[in-house]
Amino acid sequence: MGKTKTMDPAAVQKKLQVLEPRLEELLRQAEAETDPKKKLNLGRQADRTRDKIRQAKTGERFSRQTKRDMVAYSFIAPNFIGFAVFTLGPVIFAFVLAFLRWDGNNAMEFAGLGNFALMFGNKRFLAALRNTVVYCIATVPFTLAAALALAVLLNQKIRGRNFFRTVSFFPYVASLVAVAAVWNMLFSPAKSGPINMLLYNLGVAAKSLPKWSADKDWVMFTVVLFSVWKNMGYYMVIYLAGLQGINGELYEACGLDGANTWQRFWYITLPQLRPTTFFVTIILTINCFKVYDIVYMLAGGNTGVLNESAIVLVYHIYEEAFRNWNLGYASACAMVLFLMVLAITLVQFRGEKKYAN
Amino acid sequence: MKKKRLASLLTAAAMVGSLAACGGGDSSSTATSPAGDGGATTAAETVAAAEGQTVMKWSIWDKDLTLYYQPLIEEFEKQNPDLKIEMVDLGSSDYQTVLGTQLTGSGSDFDIVTIKDVPGYTTLVNKGVLEPLDEFIANDGVDLGAYKGLTDQILVDGKLYELPFRSDFWVVYYNKDVFDAAGAAYPTNDMTFDEYDALARQLTVDTPGQEVYGAHYHTWRSAVQLFGILDGKNTILDGSYDFLKPYYEMVLAEQEDGVCQDYATLKTSNLHYSGAFSQGNVAMMNMGTWFLSTLAEKIKSGEYTDCANWGIVKYPHAQGVEPGSTLATITALSIPANAPHKEDAWKFVKFVCGEEGAEILASTGNIPALMTDDIAGMISAMEGFPEDEDSKEALQTANLYLEMPVSNKSSEIEIVLNEAHDNIMTGNSTIDEGIADMNEKVGAVLAQ
Repeated sequence: MGKTKTMDPAAVQKKLQVLEPRLEELLRQAEAETDPKKKLNLGRQADRTRDKIRQAKTGERFSRQTKRDMVAYSFIAPNFIGFAVFTLGPVIFAFVLAFLRWDGNNAMEFAGLGNFALMFGNKRFLAALRNTVVYCIATVPFTLAAALALAVLLNQKIRGRNFFRTVSFFPYVASLVAVAAVWNMLFSPAKSGPINMLLYNLGVAAKSLPKWSADKDWVMFTVVLFSVWKNMGYYMVIYLAGLQGINGELYEACGLDGANTWQRFWYITLPQLRPTTFFVTIILTINCFKVYDIVYMLAGGNTGVLNESAIVLVYHIYEEAFRNWNLGYASACAMVLFLMVLAITLVQFRGEKKYAN
Repeated sequence: MKKKRLASLLTAAAMVGSLAACGGGDSSSTATSPAGDGGATTAAETVAAAEGQTVMKWSIWDKDLTLYYQPLIEEFEKQNPDLKIEMVDLGSSDYQTVLGTQLTGSGSDFDIVTIKDVPGYTTLVNKGVLEPLDEFIANDGVDLGAYKGLTDQILVDGKLYELPFRSDFWVVYYNKDVFDAAGAAYPTNDMTFDEYDALARQLTVDTPGQEVYGAHYHTWRSAVQLFGILDGKNTILDGSYDFLKPYYEMVLAEQEDGVCQDYATLKTSNLHYSGAFSQGNVAMMNMGTWFLSTLAEKIKSGEYTDCANWGIVKYPHAQGVEPGSTLATITALSIPANAPHKEDAWKFVKFVCGEEGAEILASTGNIPALMTDDIAGMISAMEGFPEDEDSKEALQTANLYLEMPVSNKSSEIEIVLNEAHDNIMTGNSTIDEGIADMNEKVGAVLAQ
């Protein structure tokens, strides 16, 4: 590819005849324009036209602007190509699939809104939806409270602070499979399980001891408890960063005014942490909607089949797609999940303007 | 062709993507499998193909734990010097799911695939990715009668898409030491359910710390639910499950009285059945014959010391039914519809599922689908197999019922039955509620 192409003088003249008057016109308009925004815009158009004139005169294949653009695109290309092939394409395909019936091999059939209609008659889907929402509503506030309390405590100058910080963060990095097994041992449904033994000694009747993750009324409780314990360390770290960003002068000032510890927390720490709390809430909620592994590990048992008392949306999608091969239906469910997460993200975008500093 | 492959790739990616990038979700799902299985690693055996040799890919699981793959391949390659078999281990815990994904679209080049269970088989047949074998069978004059009617149970629309090579069936394992300690007579090959229940209760010791369990039921639904189909009057696809009630009543009462371990505890602790039996405090456990070779080997290696004296007897039977009726599960070979070397693949299928393959399986302590008196003799002659006559006799079966018969709804029904089983056994619902639940939901699935 040559840098320049052979020029046909007549064609160049023809181009210039169009471009030159346009440039003049633009410059004149820009001169007369009073609105600075529009003026800037006209200026840009004039620049572009000037660039085209130069290109026509020199006979270069690409204008300077195009070259600049291409360099910029080439920088994002490696990432974008990966994104397009492995994320964007599949996402679009999943959207299309939500309106089709397909098992992965036989011909696709158009289903219209059939998949969505099927969903609301499916008990397992409704149970999954309910459980996911319950899980979110329960997990988010408790994790927030636990993380904040830990962060405030471990922000003090206490002995063994680093040790306790590590201890609180440990569940987050520990292997899920291992700690879930330990939890199921602690929360063993048998009377001899450690937690049940404790409850028994506290006076709970042997018949009414909960069966924890095998009990339809207690399984979500067990899962929520586990999630809070497992994730609080991570959010504690975010809160610690937030706490360290609070200006110490604020505390000095309110100390002079005679504020007690509680007032310092309530009137300084909490409001100053508002952006952090907002961020943590959103991330946590989105993560809660995507929960799968924790429930699977705690309540899956030997067969890996989750009951209606424990099933969550992501599991339902997996089960329908790869066990029953209803790819269209599963995509429709995925779309419902997507819409819910999207709604939360929109709230985040709005709130960011308000809370972010 | 290319487009289709792309499409299936995209779907897979889309699904994974819509699993919302939950880090570790997928990897953790493989970890629930009993310790020691090969995991889901797709480890292909690299085979150096000599000049002019055709290499065929065979999908399997648990390469290192299964003793018969290597001898089968060696013998086959000796007979067919121009063919090479390359094993691809897809991991045991979600084998059928992985295989289904592999065969989706036209991207795979497997020549022979192992089919682990019947729901997996019907799923693949429905997806249209398996080659019917009828023509091969007719051309070579293979006698299907030798499979004792098993092949009739896996016909789909009159066509056969797989040929079984292993056929495991359920028996009752018992620990002779426990019976001796209690001074009780060993179970026999002709027990009714009432006799079995009474025997289990007789052996139970509920002194805290020294418990002996008369019976042990693994958490799989087959272990309890399928007692109900052995009289041959009902099937698990009927859509009406009231016949299961007496069996659930029996097992729940045993659970209540400490005759067997609590299901909920077994479930959350993920206790493997081999672990339960090897502790030496279980008198009887119903389990498949796939446990025979493991048990013999672990005892030989000295890992299991508390159950070294064991035996097997036939499944208990309902009043008035011939003893020897039991559950069967088959492992079979199929040829994918787009296998590159179908003719050669058929040679391998015929070999493994035929008499020579059966002998190799039997010599490693596994039950081949092709069962003759000679082969039964080979199994009971295996080192570590119990020496009493009853145990040998227990290998002779009368009626074999598949754990899950062929149905294009089997994977959906499986989910319903698993869930109801779990609810009944944990006490989350009463037996009547659980059965009503099964009736309703399976009815809905069947009506679709």
